[in-house]
Amino acid sequence: MGFYVLSYLCVAVFILATGYRVYRQMTLPVHVRWEIYPVQHETGAKVAYGGSYLEELNWWENKYESSLFNELKYMAPEILFIRGLWKGNRSLWRVSFPFHLGLYLMIATFGFLLLHACFILWRFPAFAAGSTIRSLVDGLIVFAGWTGLIIGNIGALGVLYKRLTDPELRDYSTFSDYFNILFVFLFFLSALIACLLGDPFLEGAKAYTFGLLTGGHFLNPYVPGQSVPGKVAIISASLLTAYIPLTHMSHMYMKYFLYHHVKWDDAPNRRGGSLEAAIQKNLDLKPTWKAKHVEADGRKSWRDIASSERKETK
Amino acid sequence: MNKPRKPSDIAESSACLCHIESGELSPLPPPYEDFNQVTIPPLSPGKVKGIETSLDDTVAIGIPKPASKEEEEALIRQFLSGLKKLFDKENNWTFLQPLLLSMEHCAKCQTCSNACPVYEMSGRKEIYRPTFRAEVLRRIYRKYFKPGGKIVAKLTGDIDLNWTTIARLAELSYRCTLCRRCAAVCPIGVDNALITHEIRKLFSQEMGIAPKELHEKGSVQQLQVGSSTGMNPFAVKDSIDFIQEEMEEVTGYKVNIPWDVEGADILLIHNAGEILSWPENVGAFAIIFQAAGISWTLSSEVVGYDAVNYGLWYDDVQLARVAVKHADIARNLKVKKILIGECGHSHKALTVTADRLFTGDLNIQRESAIVTLEDIVMKGKLHFDPQRNNFPVTLHDPCNMVRSMGIVEPQRRILRKIAPRFREMTPHGVDNYCCGGGSGFAIMSGYNFAEWRNLVSSRKKFLQILNAFEGEPQETPKYVCAPCSNCKGAIRDIINYYHAEERSRLYYGGLVELIVNAMADMKKPIIRFGEEPSWES
Repeated sequence: MGFYVLSYLCVAVFILATGYRVYRQMTLPVHVRWEIYPVQHETGAKVAYGGSYLEELNWWENKYESSLFNELKYMAPEILFIRGLWKGNRSLWRVSFPFHLGLYLMIATFGFLLLHACFILWRFPAFAAGSTIRSLVDGLIVFAGWTGLIIGNIGALGVLYKRLTDPELRDYSTFSDYFNILFVFLFFLSALIACLLGDPFLEGAKAYTFGLLTGGHFLNPYVPGQSVPGKVAIISASLLTAYIPLTHMSHMYMKYFLYHHVKWDDAPNRRGGSLEAAIQKNLDLKPTWKAKHVEADGRKSWRDIASSERKETK
Repeated sequence: MNKPRKPSDIAESSACLCHIESGELSPLPPPYEDFNQVTIPPLSPGKVKGIETSLDDTVAIGIPKPASKEEEEALIRQFLSGLKKLFDKENNWTFLQPLLLSMEHCAKCQTCSNACPVYEMSGRKEIYRPTFRAEVLRRIYRKYFKPGGKIVAKLTGDIDLNWTTIARLAELSYRCTLCRRCAAVCPIGVDNALITHEIRKLFSQEMGIAPKELHEKGSVQQLQVGSSTGMNPFAVKDSIDFIQEEMEEVTGYKVNIPWDVEGADILLIHNAGEILSWPENVGAFAIIFQAAGISWTLSSEVVGYDAVNYGLWYDDVQLARVAVKHADIARNLKVKKILIGECGHSHKALTVTADRLFTGDLNIQRESAIVTLEDIVMKGKLHFDPQRNNFPVTLHDPCNMVRSMGIVEPQRRILRKIAPRFREMTPHGVDNYCCGGGSGFAIMSGYNFAEWRNLVSSRKKFLQILNAFEGEPQETPKYVCAPCSNCKGAIRDIINYYHAEERSRLYYGGLVELIVNAMADMKKPIIRFGEEPSWES
């Protein structure tokens, strides 16, 4: 039961920390525009060459349009294949891609494990032992699990090697960077050894996932975490789940804000619109910058300061 | 050879953190090999007495060294106070979200480094790497403002915060042109150029430290006198009168430049530098608008005749003041829209960045002049003889207009119509390289900064220009079209510095000059290659 308590706690930390990160982003004040082109939700031919609606005569007379399809067309290979690294840093991509792919496959494996557990828990008729669907889900678990673990181990070792040997990376790497990689590697390695040492069909993982949904009850006699590698895999996976949102590794999902709220945020401010209302609020904020030319005293708002004539020269 | 540098070295006590040795800069092709051994001339000791010079071979700001230990400690406290303000919404709502995201999510993969022309051309000097200054700021921020920061700093990279660190960081924020190629290629979306921008703001808005060309002689002078050039409304009117006469003499076309026309469709705002340095650009705009029958005006109100907004590069308060003034003038003139002339940074400042500063009737519509020009040229409002532009032309893409605004094709459609020998640089469009004068560098020349710019930050652009004209005979005049005043300034300087007019017959100018040069109505060419007219009248 101790394992489950740990896992529940770690999931709670993940939810709270991620929730906090997302909440904080959603509640930050609207910032000034700072987009970079190409903005991938542009429509028509513009997206291909990086053009914008600002290329149109009297652009404000047109409806602001954005294409979700164009965005997805760009983001899917970016997320799945780390295209940016492929284009701009091929040598790092060779190790970073397997590292990330390993993690993606682990997430996919966990998704299949959850599906497996839910079908059993709900006694889904088509999921009876020997059924096609069950065989398919079992197959996907084995395929994604093994592939992810093998690729992930190679990737983690590769990333570690690259960071240790490439001066460009080494000179900017700190203890925490190495710790993060080793932490992920510990999970990949322990899980791979646990599978190699007698659990080729990931029965332990299936049982543990089922137990996660049932507070530690099992439908079969297999008790996970019997082997040392199995215990380490469960502990490291749980702790990693809690740890990721506390570090820069949260870029895995915070990338959404980096792209959608900054890099591609080209929404124009129209009179009477919601953006204008947010700007009105911002202009009422009272800065306290100390340089004389700012003339901030904590009482004047941004609106007052922006519309004031300067007196001091320094 | 310098020893390899790491971010923590910024605090190290040494006379010079980074020196570029002879032969270390990226090589130039013939006939410019004689510049491959040239280095940045040493700073004159008399000129930099009492000034912080320990970063590299040049000085952009010229920060006085503290006179006492107490003064040094006070400066460190000011720096920390400013750093804290960058992360609160009252003081930095303008960039808080982008800053937080870029501070927290960099994986230090160094993909950005390969995109940075300053880093590449310097011979890959570590301190110019986009992550170097950003990492310094991240480590200081984590150490002083994160819970348990001083302990965690031992694990996440410690940097000793002393005056040397602070002064070097301030100077280092002026070794990046803010071209944002680094941000464009970051797989995560981190913008290390934005962090540079925020460092500049911290120093300006909290400590009153900024290059005098940008602040005292820049935005302060603009708000007080009317223009960063120092021209007051009387002087600008005199200059425009001169341009009217000059245009008739040069092209044979009589032009009237309207002032303060209430209710005109368009308020055109030029970078006032054009009026002084490139009057033919201002005159060419007037010829095109008059010939096309456009309802337009200039403003003689203080600030209304100078589109520059240097605050974009270093100070949000100055940015807001100038932008509000521009919008207010347009509102009072009751024009339908503001048109920004050939000036990249004022395009971005007024159209994009300040878009979220304007409310109510201050939110006047703003448009790039390039878009209006495309409409005039492509819709047959003027008649052209493209053969008048029968010389090699290449196009420089101003970062602020292209990568930061997405205005990419209108200028190309114009050139394809009026310049039969137009060819692209490689790369171009949103992947362009900066002219090297971005973020204020084009107007900064104190100490030996102009030499650093010509040798390091503009070097990539020079190589691109040479490559674009590869295969053209040396004696053929070649035209670099740069629709941006600061870019033109930087390109003018590299042409002069490398003697490229003599060696490669390189010339430069704006887009409107090419348009007027191809207008069938013109009796004489507006473009000349030295003494030689671009076509025979």
